[in-house]
Amino acid sequence: MIPIDNFLVLSSILFGIGMYGVLARRSALLIIMSVELMLQAVSINFVAFALYLHPEAFTGLVFAIFVIVIAAAEVGLALAIVLRLYRNRQTANVDEADSLKW
Amino acid sequence: MGMEQAWLIPAVPAAAFVVLTLVGKYLPRKGDWVAIGAIAASFILFLFVLVDLLDVVDEPGFVGGEKSWEWVSFGSFEIRLGFFTDEITIVMLAVVSFISLLVQIYSVGYMRGDPRYGWYFAVMSLFSAAMLTLVLADNLLLLYAAWEGVGLGSFLLIGFWWEKQSAAEAAKKAFTTTRIGDVGLLIGILMLWNEAGTFDISEIFEFAEAGGYGTTYLTAAVLFLFAGAAGKSGQFPLHVWLPDAMEGPTPVSALIHAATMVVAGVYLVARMLPLFELADPIALNVVTALGLTTVLISATMGLAATDIKRVIAYSTLNSLGLMMVALGSHSVTAAMFYLFVHAFFKALLFLGAGSVIHATEKQELDELGGLASKMPLTTVTFAVGTLAMIGIIPLSGFWAKDEILHVAEVNQNAGVYALMLLSVFITSLFMTRLFIRTFLFNSRDPESRDHAHDAEPTMTVPLLILAVPAAIGGFVVFSGVGEAMGFPGGFGEFVYLEHAEEFVFHWDIVVLSTVLGVGGMVVGYIFWANQAEPARRMGEMFRPVYNVLYNRYYIDEFYQFVIDRIVLVGSAAISWYDRNIVNDTGVDGSAGLTGFAGWGLKFTSTGKLPNYALAISAGVIILALVFLVVKA
Repeated sequence: MIPIDNFLVLSSILFGIGMYGVLARRSALLIIMSVELMLQAVSINFVAFALYLHPEAFTGLVFAIFVIVIAAAEVGLALAIVLRLYRNRQTANVDEADSLKW
Repeated sequence: MGMEQAWLIPAVPAAAFVVLTLVGKYLPRKGDWVAIGAIAASFILFLFVLVDLLDVVDEPGFVGGEKSWEWVSFGSFEIRLGFFTDEITIVMLAVVSFISLLVQIYSVGYMRGDPRYGWYFAVMSLFSAAMLTLVLADNLLLLYAAWEGVGLGSFLLIGFWWEKQSAAEAAKKAFTTTRIGDVGLLIGILMLWNEAGTFDISEIFEFAEAGGYGTTYLTAAVLFLFAGAAGKSGQFPLHVWLPDAMEGPTPVSALIHAATMVVAGVYLVARMLPLFELADPIALNVVTALGLTTVLISATMGLAATDIKRVIAYSTLNSLGLMMVALGSHSVTAAMFYLFVHAFFKALLFLGAGSVIHATEKQELDELGGLASKMPLTTVTFAVGTLAMIGIIPLSGFWAKDEILHVAEVNQNAGVYALMLLSVFITSLFMTRLFIRTFLFNSRDPESRDHAHDAEPTMTVPLLILAVPAAIGGFVVFSGVGEAMGFPGGFGEFVYLEHAEEFVFHWDIVVLSTVLGVGGMVVGYIFWANQAEPARRMGEMFRPVYNVLYNRYYIDEFYQFVIDRIVLVGSAAISWYDRNIVNDTGVDGSAGLTGFAGWGLKFTSTGKLPNYALAISAGVIILALVFLVVKA
């Protein structure tokens, strides 16, 4: 059996890449993609822990499916917001969408 | 109907007040008949209560009729609200309901055409209700509430013509001066309650008789009670408001500032006298000393006062002082007897003065005079009042005054007795002056005299009715008279503290007081007859003395000085502290600091998504690190 460390290293790398993307990118579309990466890292963790800690239960697997469903819904919503932003501002750059401040 | 229903006596005028305040404007005649009907009903109810009390007063162990309800109850702490009827209460009820009734009938004529005619009767009803509650209260808390209620009625009626600057100021002065005493009363009540755990008067007596209070503590408490009594009853040094209170309508002066409210203090001390007896003798000595001071300064100030109502106000102070001296001499009987007859003859004097003012529209003695032929009814009744006040046999004041002189002779030292006798002479002197200057000889202002005439029946009938008890009311001291009316005996066998006091004719006092009274009248006649030339010359000769008297011993000026130089300066300092330290620095300062912090922190809201994302990520990482460290 593959040691759990490998799964954890993989999910950490994936999460780090996603976080970097969220923080470093300025395009709204790329930020959403990075968020998806972070969510998948979490899903991997769920599955790995489920198999290694409680192989008889399905809890972790069900959680992973939930995450995927929620991610899909969230992407639908987020893309709609980005589209409205683009229609109004002719840009998807989040640095320029800063009217909600002091 | 009986003592159980005594609570109805104040309830009826209270209801009248509510009705008059809410819908008085829309009633025919602005509702004066509601007020008069209510007080008449109170008087009739009082008669029922009196009959009921006379049935049982002879039974051994009778202390009074009582009816009470639970008022406030938190756990074991309970306050009851109740009404208590005994002999002292009966005397007060008789005075208050009877004089209120007559004065309100008189007011129909006196106040006719006043723009606030309806409001006048509403406040009169409020006052009557509060005063009747005050005398019936079985506990000190209810008594205090009613005490403030009569103070409010007094304030509203003194300042009834508030468009006049002097009336508004007199009302303010009366209210603040009596409040000084009222604070003392409240402290005294709370002191009594603090140890006894009850406000009920008879329970407090039982507690005190069982030795529950320390002597020093009790002495302090009763002196605080006396402060309240002194404020209400115009005892020196809180007497200054009463002469100014004459700014109110004259019937108000007759009812509130002569017959009823100002004797509330006397009633309070009489009611609480068992406590004064248990306290250190110094307590009653203070009562005597302040009473005697009031008697002397008021009589001498009355000699120099020039306003007809003010002179009568000084005679009221004089009478109140006498009652206090009687109480200081351990005699509830003498004090309550004087209170009883004083109410009639003093109300009579004030209503007579009201008739004079109504007829001439003049109040200064210098502008009056020679009214005897024009106003015969007023003159005769006023003469009865004057002679009763001086204490000429056989008018009511004579019997009461001699009772007080007797108890002063027996219970006080010779100096007090001598000063009391002196006051009889001075009182006679200034009452004679008042009468001569108002009714006899030629007027200094003939025009107003020529138009003067006796007033309409609503005003003259109360005068005539009052003149009867003022003349013969004193006979109730005799056992035979009392028994004929169904009482157990004379006044002293009905109202007393420990032992019934049968009336005794003290020849020495009778002779002395009659000589002094008549002597005062003769000297007064010599001084103020015709154009009052001898009096004027005396005034010239003793100019400094005259000035001191005319300026009321400069007591008002002294108070004004204290208020301006000490109270107002202190207030200014406190006001500066409040404005600058508490308000500007404390309240505004903390608000400003919060505002400044908010202004500074708002710049962290940049509106840029990456900034927020970075803050969230950094926060999660820091929390994770903290969690690791704490777990390790």
